[in-house]
Amino acid sequence: MNSKPFPAGLRRSFPSLLVLCLLGFVGGAPRLAGAILVEIKDGKGQPVADAVASLTPLDRTPVIKVPDEPAVIVQDNEEFSPVVTVVVVGGKVLIPNRDKVQHHVYSLSPAKRFDIPLYKGEMKEPVVFDRPGVVALGCNIHDWMAAYVVVLATPHFAKSAAAGNAQIGDLPPGRYRLEVWHQRITAPVVREVTVNSDPSTQVISVTLRELRQIRRAPETGGGAYR
Amino acid sequence: MKLLPQSFGAKLLALFMSAVGLTQFATWAFIREFNDTQARELINDELDRTTRNFARVTADRNSLLAAAAATAARDYAVKSLFAGEDDATLATALKSIRISSTAGLVTALSLEGKVRASTLAAAMSDAAYADLVRRAQASPEASARGYGLFGGELYSLVLAPVHAPDIIAWIAVGFRIDDAFARRLKEQTGIDLTFFDPAGRPVATTLAPAVVRDLAAMLPALHEEASSEEAGLAGTTALVRIRRLAAGGDRGGTLALQYSLEEKLAPAAIAQSRQLLVAVGGMIAAILLSLAFARGVTQPIVELVGHTRRITRGDYSIRNRSYRTDELGRLSEAFDQMSLGLSERDRVRDLLDKNVSPEVAAQLLRDGATLGGEEREVTILFADLRGFTTLSEHLPPRELLTLLNRYLDRMSAEIEHHGGVIDKFIGDAIMALFGAPVPQGDAARRAVSAALAMERALVGLNAELAAEGRPPLAIGVGVNTARVVAGNIGSQRRLNYSVIGDGVNVASRLQSLTRTPEYRTNVIVSAATLRAAQTPFPARPLGTVAVKGRAEPVEIFAIGS
Repeated sequence: MNSKPFPAGLRRSFPSLLVLCLLGFVGGAPRLAGAILVEIKDGKGQPVADAVASLTPLDRTPVIKVPDEPAVIVQDNEEFSPVVTVVVVGGKVLIPNRDKVQHHVYSLSPAKRFDIPLYKGEMKEPVVFDRPGVVALGCNIHDWMAAYVVVLATPHFAKSAAAGNAQIGDLPPGRYRLEVWHQRITAPVVREVTVNSDPSTQVISVTLRELRQIRRAPETGGGAYR
Repeated sequence: MKLLPQSFGAKLLALFMSAVGLTQFATWAFIREFNDTQARELINDELDRTTRNFARVTADRNSLLAAAAATAARDYAVKSLFAGEDDATLATALKSIRISSTAGLVTALSLEGKVRASTLAAAMSDAAYADLVRRAQASPEASARGYGLFGGELYSLVLAPVHAPDIIAWIAVGFRIDDAFARRLKEQTGIDLTFFDPAGRPVATTLAPAVVRDLAAMLPALHEEASSEEAGLAGTTALVRIRRLAAGGDRGGTLALQYSLEEKLAPAAIAQSRQLLVAVGGMIAAILLSLAFARGVTQPIVELVGHTRRITRGDYSIRNRSYRTDELGRLSEAFDQMSLGLSERDRVRDLLDKNVSPEVAAQLLRDGATLGGEEREVTILFADLRGFTTLSEHLPPRELLTLLNRYLDRMSAEIEHHGGVIDKFIGDAIMALFGAPVPQGDAARRAVSAALAMERALVGLNAELAAEGRPPLAIGVGVNTARVVAGNIGSQRRLNYSVIGDGVNVASRLQSLTRTPEYRTNVIVSAATLRAAQTPFPARPLGTVAVKGRAEPVEIFAIGS
């Protein structure tokens, strides 16, 4: 990695930056909006995907508009997809089961406790997440299934792509609390940032622990004697 | 055989004893050392095995307990209790987990490590789990093993996560380390185990109380890093290994394993005592063998020494009855041959003495028997028994020979007494020399004296014969002195010392002249003899006689009566 001129994450982020600059320039209108590119790396400098970066304004109360359309977490091949879903407070999530087998979705997280006993197919009503916090979803009969719904009290957020970059745009200038979360993060990273009309980049290094969830067993054979 | 230090037997004994003794002792010491080392190695191996077995058994049991606890905790309702705050209900749920998992202890902890409920009231301390929680948090498996001391009882603990599906809490399960557990371990390896709490108090053991007491007293002095240490426990020596129960800081306590060295060495000790017995037996055998051997060697030597002494005294009758084929046998054989040779020589000497005069024998032995001779003046004496022919007709041969020998013996004695040498016996006649082989200045005088003495001796013999009722004997003696050739005469194989010459014939002729009645004498000597004798013998001239083969007549004299 050191032999390369730029880290992979940076090189990949160039096109996005370019697009952003062009948009700002072409848009022309002197809108007082800024943008922050958050680059998230782990302790070894590797890009971290599926991290959630959020900006909470410190100078004002954020205006939260709940989308009409619910987010969707599909259960397919006995896995949740996507693993990480971000919604604002009051956000709705549908958790349809596309498998031929039943699932028993539950959460024991304080932010949202619920369980949907064994079912198949679509849900009639979405689950509403009305308190901020991280909600861990599991399946009571398939221990390895895990998904996270990050419920935020701010509309400014983004989930990092494979390259570790999370772009948050349309930001009114001002002071913000930047928070980065990841399912394996040892402690959320919090930092205060100031947004102006110029786009800026925040590089966040996070410490991740081993994935401590129950692993899916191999399809064939029994486990070796331990 | 005497057992003096200088004796061969003692030396041999010392040699045998030291050889056998040293070998046996070295073997004994080597085997003892070997056995001891071997026993220690074996014990250490067994201690290793037990240590590993303990770790394995504990790990396996913990794993099973953890799995059972995790299975119980994945029940949705139980999971909900772990996620909720109803500790009282949780506590009751732990009881059923304890029963289903066969654990000795189940404790529920929050993610942060606060104890929320436990099946054991004494196990409600956060501090008891702090280290486990810290290590579980840091481990990829999110679990940790350790020990806990609750109410004086030692527990092996495992901390397992409760997933929902992230880790939302911890569940600690454990089993009590008690005598039953210790016995179970001993069943597998045969090694005695004792568990001590951190304060050094025994909590579980397979040992008798007295041994445990000794072990507990010794515990602070033992070193964990040593593979094992020797310790006297209740009167026996054991190899002891101690291991801190890992994971748990000072909470783990101590595991002490020991194996009796004496027990391990017992078969070796039996073998050793038997070897000692064999060694003693070997020594005794060595002593007997060396004694027997020494006797076998010295006995013939001692006998030979005795025989040598007897031979020195002239007793050649001894023969070594030896059937040995070794050097001693050959020595005996050689000795016998030597003895035989010596006796042969003595016998020859004896025979020589009888057949020739001692002087001739001495000369023969000195100068060897060689042909040749020398001319010298010798006085020759001839004596003849008169009327022997008539006598031989009247007597049986045996008696005749006895009588003849008796006569010859007397005459010879007189001749020898006067320094004469019997030259030969010719039937009943005697030829004797004076002045040969040993020169004698007064040979002639001696010869005449001898002739007279013979006459007298015959008178004595005749008196004896008369007493026996036998007829008397008569002799005639002729003596002549002349220069003759003296030396060994004969063939290479048979030699006689004798003299030859005219003078000899004259002597013989003079002897035969004594038969002449007119002479009335038994002894006739020549003038040459009378001259040579230089002693005035009572001589009666008989005139001159002609001797056959001789030009000059010989002047003769009658001597004596």
